Amino acid sequence: MYSDQALTFETMDTHNVARREEVARFLTSNGLGIDDDIEQFVVARCHRDLVACAGIAGNTLKCIAVETGWRRTSLGLKVIHEAEVQAIQNGEHQLFLLTTPDNVKAFRGCGFYPLVTLDHRATLMENTPVGIQHYCRKLRAHHRVMAANVGGIVMNANPFTSGHLYLIEQAAKACDWLHVFVVGEDLSAFSFQDRFAMVKEGARHLKTVTVHPGSRYIISRGTFPGYFLKEKQIVNEVYAAIDLILFRQYIAPALNIRQRFVGTEPFCKVTAQYNRAMHHWLEDETIMTDAAVRVNEIPRITDENNLPISASAVRRALKKNDLNTVKRMVPATTMPYLIRWLSHHLFTESDCGLANV
Amino acid sequence: MKIVKAAIAGTLESSDLVVKVSPGDEGLDIIIHSEVYKQFGEQITAVVKETLSAFDITQGEIIVEDKGALDCVIRARVQAAILRGTASETIAWEKL
Repeated sequence: MYSDQALTFETMDTHNVARREEVARFLTSNGLGIDDDIEQFVVARCHRDLVACAGIAGNTLKCIAVETGWRRTSLGLKVIHEAEVQAIQNGEHQLFLLTTPDNVKAFRGCGFYPLVTLDHRATLMENTPVGIQHYCRKLRAHHRVMAANVGGIVMNANPFTSGHLYLIEQAAKACDWLHVFVVGEDLSAFSFQDRFAMVKEGARHLKTVTVHPGSRYIISRGTFPGYFLKEKQIVNEVYAAIDLILFRQYIAPALNIRQRFVGTEPFCKVTAQYNRAMHHWLEDETIMTDAAVRVNEIPRITDENNLPISASAVRRALKKNDLNTVKRMVPATTMPYLIRWLSHHLFTESDCGLANV
Repeated sequence: MKIVKAAIAGTLESSDLVVKVSPGDEGLDIIIHSEVYKQFGEQITAVVKETLSAFDITQGEIIVEDKGALDCVIRARVQAAILRGTASETIAWEKL
Protein backbone atom coordinates (compact mmCIF):
# COMPACT_ATOMS: atom_id res chain seq x y z
CA MET A 1 0.00 0.00 0.00
CA TYR A 2 2.77 2.41 0.97
CA SER A 3 6.11 2.52 -0.69
CA ASP A 4 9.36 3.31 1.07
CA GLN A 5 10.77 4.74 -2.11
CA ALA A 6 8.84 7.97 -1.80
CA LEU A 7 9.99 8.63 1.78
CA THR A 8 12.24 11.56 2.56
CA PHE A 9 13.54 12.71 5.91
CA GLU A 10 14.35 16.24 6.90
CA THR A 11 15.26 18.17 10.02
CA MET A 12 13.39 21.38 10.69
CA ASP A 13 13.90 24.14 13.18
CA THR A 14 10.97 25.03 15.43
CA HIS A 15 11.79 28.73 15.04
CA ASN A 16 10.21 28.56 11.64
CA VAL A 17 6.60 29.35 12.54
CA ALA A 18 4.93 27.90 9.45
CA ARG A 19 6.82 24.63 9.75
CA ARG A 20 6.14 24.43 13.47
CA GLU A 21 2.42 24.91 12.80
CA GLU A 22 2.46 22.09 10.30
CA VAL A 23 4.04 19.72 12.84
CA ALA A 24 1.69 20.92 15.56
CA ARG A 25 -1.31 20.11 13.32
CA PHE A 26 0.14 16.69 12.55
CA LEU A 27 0.68 15.96 16.25
CA THR A 28 -2.85 17.11 17.10
CA SER A 29 -4.32 14.79 14.49
CA ASN A 30 -2.42 11.99 16.22
CA GLY A 31 -3.65 12.94 19.67
CA LEU A 32 -0.48 14.68 20.86
CA GLY A 33 0.44 18.22 21.85
CA ILE A 34 3.64 20.03 21.02
CA ASP A 35 6.15 20.86 23.77
CA ASP A 36 7.73 24.31 23.86
CA ASP A 37 11.25 23.18 24.64
CA ILE A 38 11.61 21.27 21.37
CA GLU A 39 14.28 22.86 19.19
CA GLN A 40 14.13 20.60 16.18
CA PHE A 41 11.84 18.11 14.54
CA VAL A 42 12.93 15.26 12.35
CA VAL A 43 10.05 14.60 9.97
CA ALA A 44 9.33 12.00 7.34
CA ARG A 45 7.40 12.96 4.22
CA CYS A 46 5.77 10.80 1.62
CA HIS A 47 5.63 13.05 -1.41
CA ARG A 48 4.58 16.23 0.35
CA ASP A 49 2.61 14.82 3.24
CA LEU A 50 3.97 14.60 6.73
CA VAL A 51 3.80 10.96 7.80
CA ALA A 52 5.97 10.85 10.92
CA CYS A 53 7.84 13.15 13.28
CA ALA A 54 10.10 13.10 16.32
CA GLY A 55 10.99 16.17 18.40
CA ILE A 56 14.45 16.89 19.81
CA ALA A 57 14.80 18.97 22.99
CA GLY A 58 18.48 18.91 23.89
CA ASN A 59 19.16 15.31 24.92
CA THR A 60 15.51 14.23 24.93
CA LEU A 61 13.33 12.85 22.17
CA LYS A 62 9.60 13.42 22.50
CA CYS A 63 6.44 14.33 20.61
CA ILE A 64 6.91 11.29 18.40
CA ALA A 65 4.09 10.32 16.07
CA VAL A 66 3.51 8.11 13.04
CA GLU A 67 0.53 8.52 10.69
CA THR A 68 -2.08 5.77 11.24
CA GLY A 69 -1.66 4.13 7.82
CA TRP A 70 2.10 3.80 8.33
CA ARG A 71 2.03 2.27 11.78
CA ARG A 72 2.70 -1.32 10.87
CA THR A 73 5.73 -0.44 8.78
CA SER A 74 9.20 0.27 10.11
CA LEU A 75 8.69 4.02 9.73
CA GLY A 76 8.64 4.62 13.50
CA LEU A 77 12.00 2.92 13.77
CA LYS A 78 13.39 4.98 10.91
CA VAL A 79 12.26 8.32 12.23
CA ILE A 80 13.64 7.53 15.72
CA HIS A 81 16.93 6.52 14.15
CA GLU A 82 17.09 9.69 12.06
CA ALA A 83 16.35 11.74 15.18
CA GLU A 84 19.08 9.91 17.09
CA VAL A 85 21.59 10.61 14.33
CA GLN A 86 20.55 14.28 14.26
CA ALA A 87 20.94 14.53 18.06
CA ILE A 88 24.41 12.98 17.77
CA GLN A 89 25.27 15.60 15.19
CA ASN A 90 24.10 18.19 17.72
CA GLY A 91 26.61 16.69 20.16
CA GLU A 92 24.12 14.71 22.27
CA HIS A 93 25.05 11.03 22.39
CA GLN A 94 23.22 9.90 25.47
CA LEU A 95 19.56 10.43 24.86
CA PHE A 96 16.38 10.22 26.84
CA LEU A 97 13.00 9.47 25.37
CA LEU A 98 9.70 10.37 27.00
CA THR A 99 6.66 8.31 26.23
CA THR A 100 3.69 6.57 27.79
CA PRO A 101 4.07 3.11 29.35
CA ASP A 102 2.09 1.34 26.59
CA ASN A 103 4.61 2.46 23.98
CA VAL A 104 7.64 1.13 25.83
CA LYS A 105 7.71 -2.10 23.85
CA ALA A 106 7.80 -0.27 20.53
CA PHE A 107 10.63 2.02 21.61
CA ARG A 108 12.48 -0.89 23.16
CA GLY A 109 12.84 -2.13 19.58
CA CYS A 110 14.44 1.22 18.67
CA GLY A 111 17.29 0.71 21.13
CA PHE A 112 15.79 2.61 24.07
CA TYR A 113 15.59 1.09 27.55
CA PRO A 114 13.10 2.01 30.29
CA LEU A 115 14.53 3.90 33.27
CA VAL A 116 11.60 5.15 35.28
CA THR A 117 7.88 4.60 34.94
CA LEU A 118 5.31 6.80 36.59
CA ASP A 119 2.03 4.89 37.08
CA HIS A 120 0.23 4.82 33.74
CA ARG A 121 1.27 8.29 32.76
CA ALA A 122 4.84 8.40 31.57
CA THR A 123 8.03 6.44 31.06
CA LEU A 124 11.52 7.85 30.72
CA MET A 125 13.80 5.71 28.55
CA GLU A 126 17.46 6.07 27.60
CA ASN A 127 19.35 4.92 24.54
CA THR A 128 21.77 2.67 26.37
CA PRO A 129 21.09 -0.46 28.39
CA VAL A 130 23.81 0.40 30.90
CA GLY A 131 23.80 4.21 31.33
CA ILE A 132 22.34 4.57 34.82
CA GLN A 133 24.02 1.38 36.05
CA HIS A 134 27.45 2.65 35.00
CA TYR A 135 26.80 6.04 36.55
CA CYS A 136 25.72 4.46 39.85
CA ARG A 137 28.62 2.02 39.78
CA LYS A 138 31.01 4.97 39.53
CA LEU A 139 29.28 6.85 42.33
CA ARG A 140 29.43 3.72 44.49
CA ALA A 141 33.07 3.00 43.74
CA HIS A 142 34.43 6.51 44.22
CA HIS A 143 32.10 8.27 46.61
CA ARG A 144 30.22 5.81 48.80
CA VAL A 145 30.89 6.59 52.44
CA MET A 146 30.33 3.96 55.06
CA ALA A 147 28.35 5.96 57.56
CA ALA A 148 24.95 5.47 59.09
CA ASN A 149 23.52 8.84 58.27
CA VAL A 150 24.31 10.15 54.79
CA GLY A 151 22.53 13.18 53.34
CA GLY A 152 22.15 14.76 49.93
CA ILE A 153 21.39 18.19 48.45
CA VAL A 154 20.71 19.11 44.84
CA MET A 155 21.30 22.77 44.01
CA ASN A 156 21.66 24.97 40.97
CA ALA A 157 23.59 27.71 42.86
CA ASN A 158 22.96 30.38 40.27
CA PRO A 159 24.97 31.97 41.90
CA PHE A 160 26.09 30.37 45.19
CA THR A 161 24.70 32.47 48.09
CA SER A 162 25.09 32.58 51.87
CA GLY A 163 21.70 30.83 51.88
CA HIS A 164 23.17 27.86 50.00
CA LEU A 165 26.16 27.85 52.32
CA TYR A 166 23.88 27.90 55.36
CA LEU A 167 21.86 25.00 53.95
CA ILE A 168 25.03 22.97 53.36
CA GLU A 169 26.38 23.75 56.84
CA GLN A 170 23.12 22.85 58.57
CA ALA A 171 22.79 19.64 56.57
CA ALA A 172 26.42 18.66 57.19
CA LYS A 173 25.83 19.13 60.93
CA ALA A 174 22.76 16.90 60.78
CA CYS A 175 24.49 13.95 59.15
CA ASP A 176 27.76 12.01 59.07
CA TRP A 177 28.44 12.76 55.41
CA LEU A 178 26.82 15.04 52.85
CA HIS A 179 26.73 14.76 49.06
CA VAL A 180 26.01 18.00 47.21
CA PHE A 181 25.05 17.77 43.55
CA VAL A 182 25.36 20.89 41.41
CA VAL A 183 22.83 20.86 38.56
CA GLY A 184 24.82 20.24 35.42
CA GLU A 185 22.52 21.77 32.83
CA ASP A 186 23.98 24.91 31.28
CA LEU A 187 20.78 26.93 30.97
CA SER A 188 21.32 29.32 33.85
CA ALA A 189 22.83 32.81 34.08
CA PHE A 190 26.07 31.36 35.45
CA SER A 191 27.86 28.58 33.62
CA PHE A 192 28.02 25.12 35.16
CA GLN A 193 31.78 25.49 35.49
CA ASP A 194 31.42 28.66 37.57
CA ARG A 195 28.54 27.34 39.66
CA PHE A 196 30.43 24.13 40.43
CA ALA A 197 33.58 26.05 41.39
CA MET A 198 31.61 28.46 43.61
CA VAL A 199 30.02 25.58 45.54
CA LYS A 200 33.30 23.71 45.83
CA GLU A 201 35.15 26.72 47.18
CA GLY A 202 32.29 27.76 49.43
CA ALA A 203 32.15 24.31 51.03
CA ARG A 204 35.90 23.70 51.16
CA HIS A 205 36.07 24.21 54.93
CA LEU A 206 33.60 21.39 55.55
CA LYS A 207 35.44 18.08 55.82
CA THR A 208 32.44 15.77 55.51
CA VAL A 209 31.03 17.16 52.27
CA THR A 210 31.52 15.88 48.71
CA VAL A 211 30.53 18.25 45.90
CA HIS A 212 29.50 16.37 42.75
CA PRO A 213 29.01 17.66 39.25
CA GLY A 214 25.36 16.99 38.42
CA SER A 215 24.60 14.42 35.79
CA ARG A 216 21.88 14.06 33.25
CA TYR A 217 20.10 11.96 35.88
CA ILE A 218 19.72 14.87 38.30
CA ILE A 219 17.34 17.71 37.38
CA SER A 220 18.62 17.78 33.86
CA ARG A 221 16.44 18.94 31.03
CA GLY A 222 15.82 15.29 30.27
CA THR A 223 14.43 14.41 33.64
CA PHE A 224 12.86 17.71 34.53
CA PRO A 225 12.32 20.20 31.71
CA GLY A 226 9.59 22.14 33.52
CA TYR A 227 12.16 23.33 36.02
CA PHE A 228 13.84 25.33 33.31
CA LEU A 229 10.64 26.86 32.00
CA LYS A 230 9.81 28.98 34.96
CA GLU A 231 8.13 31.83 33.17
CA LYS A 232 5.08 29.62 32.88
CA GLN A 233 5.03 29.06 36.63
CA ILE A 234 3.64 25.61 36.02
CA VAL A 235 5.53 22.60 37.17
CA ASN A 236 4.83 19.64 35.13
CA GLU A 237 4.15 17.21 37.93
CA VAL A 238 5.10 14.29 35.75
CA TYR A 239 8.63 15.56 35.25
CA ALA A 240 9.12 16.35 38.93
CA ALA A 241 7.96 12.87 39.81
CA ILE A 242 10.28 11.24 37.27
CA ASP A 243 13.25 13.20 38.56
CA LEU A 244 12.50 12.25 42.16
CA ILE A 245 11.81 8.58 41.47
CA LEU A 246 15.12 8.40 39.63
CA PHE A 247 16.84 9.85 42.70
CA ARG A 248 15.12 7.43 45.07
CA GLN A 249 15.55 4.33 42.90
CA TYR A 250 19.11 4.79 41.70
CA ILE A 251 21.16 7.63 43.16
CA ALA A 252 20.17 7.46 46.83
CA PRO A 253 20.83 3.69 47.09
CA ALA A 254 24.18 4.02 45.26
CA LEU A 255 25.46 6.50 47.85
CA ASN A 256 23.39 5.23 50.74
CA ILE A 257 21.65 8.61 51.02
CA ARG A 258 18.97 8.49 53.71
CA GLN A 259 17.86 12.08 53.76
CA ARG A 260 17.68 15.00 51.39
CA PHE A 261 17.90 18.63 52.46
CA VAL A 262 16.24 21.57 50.83
CA GLY A 263 15.63 25.22 51.73
CA THR A 264 12.06 26.37 52.34
CA GLU A 265 10.72 28.22 49.36
CA PRO A 266 8.46 31.18 50.11
CA PHE A 267 8.67 32.87 46.69
CA CYS A 268 9.06 30.70 43.67
CA LYS A 269 6.00 28.57 42.93
CA VAL A 270 7.90 26.05 40.83
CA THR A 271 10.42 25.30 43.55
CA ALA A 272 7.72 25.30 46.25
CA GLN A 273 5.75 22.72 44.30
CA TYR A 274 8.91 20.73 43.74
CA ASN A 275 9.47 20.69 47.49
CA ARG A 276 5.95 19.35 48.02
CA ALA A 277 6.50 16.71 45.36
CA MET A 278 9.72 15.73 47.17
CA HIS A 279 7.83 14.82 50.31
CA HIS A 280 5.49 12.61 48.32
CA TRP A 281 7.91 10.81 45.99
CA LEU A 282 10.86 10.44 48.35
CA GLU A 283 9.16 9.79 51.68
CA ASP A 284 5.99 7.83 50.97
CA GLU A 285 6.57 4.17 51.85
CA THR A 286 3.48 2.93 50.04
CA ILE A 287 4.22 4.04 46.48
CA MET A 288 7.36 1.97 45.85
CA THR A 289 9.54 -0.62 47.47
CA ASP A 290 12.78 1.39 47.28
CA ALA A 291 13.91 2.72 50.64
CA ALA A 292 12.40 6.08 51.52
CA VAL A 293 14.56 9.21 51.65
CA ARG A 294 13.61 11.63 54.40
CA VAL A 295 13.12 15.23 53.27
CA ASN A 296 14.30 18.01 55.58
CA GLU A 297 13.23 21.54 54.77
CA ILE A 298 15.57 24.02 56.37
CA PRO A 299 14.20 27.54 56.90
CA ARG A 300 15.73 30.13 54.61
CA ILE A 301 17.93 32.78 56.25
CA THR A 302 17.74 36.55 55.79
CA ASP A 303 20.53 39.08 55.41
CA GLU A 304 21.31 41.77 58.01
CA ASN A 305 18.57 43.99 56.54
CA ASN A 306 16.07 41.20 57.06
CA LEU A 307 15.75 40.51 53.33
CA PRO A 308 15.43 36.85 52.44
CA ILE A 309 18.54 35.58 50.67
CA SER A 310 17.99 33.92 47.36
CA ALA A 311 19.94 33.50 44.17
CA SER A 312 17.27 35.41 42.28
CA ALA A 313 17.59 38.35 44.71
CA VAL A 314 21.34 38.32 44.07
CA ARG A 315 20.77 38.33 40.32
CA ARG A 316 18.33 41.23 40.63
CA ALA A 317 20.89 43.18 42.66
CA LEU A 318 23.60 42.34 40.15
CA LYS A 319 21.39 43.62 37.40
CA LYS A 320 21.13 46.97 39.19
CA ASN A 321 24.86 46.87 39.81
CA ASP A 322 24.05 47.06 43.52
CA LEU A 323 27.18 45.41 44.87
CA ASN A 324 26.45 46.30 48.49
CA THR A 325 23.31 44.21 48.49
CA VAL A 326 25.12 41.44 46.66
CA LYS A 327 27.90 41.38 49.25
CA ARG A 328 25.39 40.93 52.05
CA MET A 329 23.97 37.84 50.39
CA VAL A 330 26.92 35.83 49.16
CA PRO A 331 29.97 34.30 50.87
CA ALA A 332 33.35 35.91 50.18
CA THR A 333 34.34 32.93 48.02
CA THR A 334 31.55 33.76 45.54
CA MET A 335 32.49 37.44 45.02
CA PRO A 336 35.39 36.95 42.57
CA TYR A 337 33.05 35.01 40.25
CA LEU A 338 30.41 37.70 40.39
CA ILE A 339 32.87 40.48 39.70
CA ARG A 340 34.40 38.60 36.81
CA TRP A 341 30.94 37.78 35.55
CA LEU A 342 29.81 41.43 35.77
CA SER A 343 32.76 42.55 33.73
CA HIS A 344 31.91 40.02 31.00
CA HIS A 345 28.13 40.13 30.85
CA LEU A 346 25.15 42.35 30.86
CA PHE A 347 21.95 40.89 32.15
CA THR A 348 19.26 40.10 29.69
CA GLU A 349 15.64 39.59 30.67
CA SER A 350 15.66 35.90 29.87
CA ASP A 351 18.56 35.26 32.23
CA CYS A 352 16.47 36.51 35.11
CA GLY A 353 13.71 34.04 34.48
CA LEU A 354 15.96 31.03 34.71
CA ALA A 355 16.20 28.48 37.47
CA ASN A 356 17.47 29.79 40.76
CA VAL A 357 17.67 27.05 43.37
CA MET B 1 43.73 1.63 20.73
CA LYS B 2 41.07 3.57 22.60
CA ILE B 3 37.69 4.86 21.61
CA VAL B 4 38.10 8.64 21.93
CA LYS B 5 34.66 9.88 20.97
CA ALA B 6 31.11 8.60 20.82
CA ALA B 7 30.05 7.27 17.43
CA ILE B 8 27.27 5.26 15.88
CA ALA B 9 26.99 3.01 12.82
CA GLY B 10 24.22 0.96 11.28
CA THR B 11 20.44 0.97 11.46
CA LEU B 12 17.79 -0.95 13.37
CA GLU B 13 16.18 -2.36 10.25
CA SER B 14 15.66 -6.10 10.17
CA SER B 15 18.90 -8.00 9.32
CA ASP B 16 21.03 -5.01 10.30
CA LEU B 17 22.41 -3.78 13.62
CA VAL B 18 23.40 -0.57 15.37
CA VAL B 19 26.81 -0.30 16.99
CA LYS B 20 27.36 2.54 19.45
CA VAL B 21 30.82 3.15 20.79
CA SER B 22 31.92 5.63 23.44
CA PRO B 23 35.02 6.26 25.55
CA GLY B 24 35.20 4.26 28.77
CA ASP B 25 37.62 4.38 31.64
CA GLU B 26 37.52 0.77 32.71
CA GLY B 27 38.88 -1.33 29.90
CA LEU B 28 36.64 -2.80 27.25
CA ASP B 29 32.96 -3.06 28.01
CA ILE B 30 30.88 -4.93 25.45
CA ILE B 31 27.10 -5.08 25.75
CA ILE B 32 25.19 -7.08 23.16
CA HIS B 33 21.44 -7.15 22.70
CA SER B 34 20.05 -9.32 19.95
CA GLU B 35 16.67 -10.59 18.88
CA VAL B 36 18.35 -13.90 18.15
CA TYR B 37 20.66 -13.93 21.16
CA LYS B 38 19.47 -17.32 22.34
CA GLN B 39 20.43 -19.02 19.10
CA PHE B 40 23.39 -16.93 17.97
CA GLY B 41 24.58 -14.97 21.01
CA GLU B 42 27.93 -16.74 21.22
CA GLN B 43 28.60 -16.34 17.53
CA ILE B 44 27.69 -12.61 17.56
CA THR B 45 29.91 -12.03 20.59
CA ALA B 46 32.79 -13.85 18.92
CA VAL B 47 32.49 -11.75 15.72
CA VAL B 48 32.32 -8.49 17.68
CA LYS B 49 35.32 -9.40 19.82
CA GLU B 50 37.32 -10.56 16.81
CA THR B 51 36.68 -7.31 14.97
CA LEU B 52 37.62 -5.24 18.01
CA SER B 53 40.84 -7.14 18.56
CA ALA B 54 41.77 -6.81 14.86
CA PHE B 55 41.84 -3.05 15.55
CA ASP B 56 43.51 -3.51 18.90
CA ILE B 57 40.69 -1.79 20.75
CA THR B 58 41.37 -2.19 24.46
CA GLN B 59 39.30 0.57 25.97
CA GLY B 60 35.77 1.82 25.42
CA GLU B 61 32.12 0.99 25.77
CA ILE B 62 30.65 -0.96 22.86
CA ILE B 63 26.88 -1.37 22.65
CA VAL B 64 25.46 -3.65 19.98
CA GLU B 65 21.77 -3.66 19.14
CA ASP B 66 21.35 -6.53 16.70
CA LYS B 67 18.33 -7.25 14.53
CA GLY B 68 19.49 -10.57 13.14
CA ALA B 69 22.41 -9.45 10.99
CA LEU B 70 24.80 -11.77 9.18
CA ASP B 71 28.40 -11.99 10.40
CA CYS B 72 29.75 -9.91 7.53
CA VAL B 73 27.26 -7.14 8.35
CA ILE B 74 28.19 -7.25 12.05
CA ARG B 75 31.85 -6.96 11.11
CA ALA B 76 31.20 -4.04 8.76
CA ARG B 77 29.12 -2.09 11.31
CA VAL B 78 31.61 -2.63 14.13
CA GLN B 79 34.44 -1.50 11.84
CA ALA B 80 32.55 1.62 10.79
CA ALA B 81 31.77 2.55 14.40
CA ILE B 82 35.41 2.03 15.44
CA LEU B 83 36.73 4.13 12.56
CA ARG B 84 34.37 6.93 13.54
CA GLY B 85 35.03 6.53 17.27
CA THR B 86 38.79 6.45 17.09
CA ALA B 87 38.94 9.30 14.58
CA SER B 88 41.71 7.47 12.78
CA GLU B 89 43.35 9.57 10.13
CA THR B 90 44.92 6.63 8.40
CA ILE B 91 42.85 3.56 7.83
CA ALA B 92 44.69 0.25 7.95
CA TRP B 93 42.77 -1.22 5.05
CA GLU B 94 44.57 -4.54 5.25
CA LYS B 95 42.89 -5.19 8.59
CA LEU B 96 39.40 -4.69 7.24
